[in-house]
Amino acid sequence: MMRSGFALMRGLWLSWLQYRSFFFILAFGWMIAPLIYLFVWSTAAGDSSIAGLTRGEFVAYYLVLIIVNQVTYAQTNWTVGDLIRYGQMNQVLLRPIPPIFDALASEFAGKVVYLVFDLPIVALLALILRPEMDFQLVNALAFIPALALAWALRFFWGYALALLAFWSTRADALLTLQDSLIFLLAGQVAPVALLPAGMQLAARILPFRYMVAFPVEVLTGHLAGADLWLGFAAQGSWLILAFVLYVVLWRTGLRRYTAVGG
Amino acid sequence: MIQPQTTKQSPLIQVQNLTKTYRVPIRPEGLSASVKSLLHPQYSQVTAVNGINFSIEAGAMVGLIGPNGAGKTTTLKMLSGLLHPSAGTATVAGHIPWQRHPDYLRRISMVMGNKSQMLWDIPPLDSFRVLGEVYAVPGADFRRTLDELIDLLEMQDLLAKPVRNLSLGERMKCELTASLLHRPAVLFLDEPTLGLDVSMQLRLRRFLAEYNQRRGVTIILTSHYMADVLALCPRVILIHHGQLVYDGELNGLARKLAPFKMLRIVLSSEVVAPEDLPPLPAGAEVAALEGNILTLRVPRAEAPALTARLLQTLAVADLTVEDPPIEAVMDQIYTEGAA
Repeated sequence: MMRSGFALMRGLWLSWLQYRSFFFILAFGWMIAPLIYLFVWSTAAGDSSIAGLTRGEFVAYYLVLIIVNQVTYAQTNWTVGDLIRYGQMNQVLLRPIPPIFDALASEFAGKVVYLVFDLPIVALLALILRPEMDFQLVNALAFIPALALAWALRFFWGYALALLAFWSTRADALLTLQDSLIFLLAGQVAPVALLPAGMQLAARILPFRYMVAFPVEVLTGHLAGADLWLGFAAQGSWLILAFVLYVVLWRTGLRRYTAVGG
Repeated sequence: MIQPQTTKQSPLIQVQNLTKTYRVPIRPEGLSASVKSLLHPQYSQVTAVNGINFSIEAGAMVGLIGPNGAGKTTTLKMLSGLLHPSAGTATVAGHIPWQRHPDYLRRISMVMGNKSQMLWDIPPLDSFRVLGEVYAVPGADFRRTLDELIDLLEMQDLLAKPVRNLSLGERMKCELTASLLHRPAVLFLDEPTLGLDVSMQLRLRRFLAEYNQRRGVTIILTSHYMADVLALCPRVILIHHGQLVYDGELNGLARKLAPFKMLRIVLSSEVVAPEDLPPLPAGAEVAALEGNILTLRVPRAEAPALTARLLQTLAVADLTVEDPPIEAVMDQIYTEGAA
């Protein structure tokens, strides 16, 4: 199983090497929005602070967010719908491995490529923009599971939405909606703590914050004690729900697909 | 043909009463009707495959033929596990296909003339390696199988070019290689020669025949090219309107379904008008009259007597009695039905 996963990843890397520039442009594109808000908020903060965040802390927040956004962004959620719509699901279903392997292989292969591009740029920006962060080992240790869970949540949530392509040809609209909600509620346009009260509540309840902002807040030390544990609990609960949703939609979707034919 | 130790075993493929009914939405014309169908969608039932039965022994090569929309691809998709039947059963290599058990998927392969399993942007060799791992083929077996296939398909030169730069025929060679790397017991081929030129068709046919002989792989093939079927399949299964119309030898198909013979007569004199011919028995007709070549379509039972009469009354230079060409038989069945 692992061997076939690595083989799929290798095949993808070989394919992508044909399109180096396309993928780096894509990675750069994902970086642009956080960079804009980095400059907006750090400029606005100036020499004082906004809601307790200084200029340097905004820089740190957004530099971490660039990496977290890249690591958690699930590009395959878009391609799974295409597979179903264009009838290429047949080829995937004929293989003796679970079809989600294709998506997972593509995810991991993608992360490696994007991080090769992102990490040097973020390091360079850190040298120029002088982020300020109260770095603590315990936060760094908590960041690792928060990041892993954020990726898993974003992946299975998006994958489940993409599977709606089994029923509707316009399932991508939901993925676009999800990306907008992530932009608003997952700490991209502003850190969640700076949102108006109503939106802040929505951000804490809905799953989107736990896909991006939560690990960033954990690493930059904006969460402590009860907030941290509450965050993990919410993240874990949403992940379980997203996974169940994926399993249910995959089973019923596949039953439908094999009933109507692809 | 190799029929490896199957004499006492049950057939490799057994299909009983296999049926597939699709529910197709009815979309009337016009905006108001469209809105109405949005609220109260209406469906009609279309039976693509209707209670077919057959069994196939290991190592056989069988052609699944029939006009467009007859239910051939639906049948193949059910046998390869891509479709759930509405009724009936099938077992292939001891498995129920649509359960899609990994052990089953490792024993079959399906090549669709219009779909690709190759990674488009990289050379075929890299795709083959990925597939070798996906099917968990041990390294030494993989190398041996690949070398054999490359050799049989004469594709040494293709291995380093990206797949998207290959011609259609070269790509089909790659598809066949990709489908056989894990040594499947059953190979489903849906229109494998679609759009290929004559010499590529010939080469692929030769390959399939040879590979079937060598490895005893069971092959079920659909094709619209009767030449494919004639060259490869001793046995054909004809499906029409979702029903099994004929199952047997291809030659027998013409005898059974086309109850007439073609009499081709070369006359020694130049042109003859149809009126100059002796009276033809009921059911016989002039199929063609070009220059001094006359072709008659004659009921099978009348053929001997009419042949004798023609030899007496006409100046005949040459006369042959043949079964009608398979294409003509097929056309007759497709258009008139095979009652």
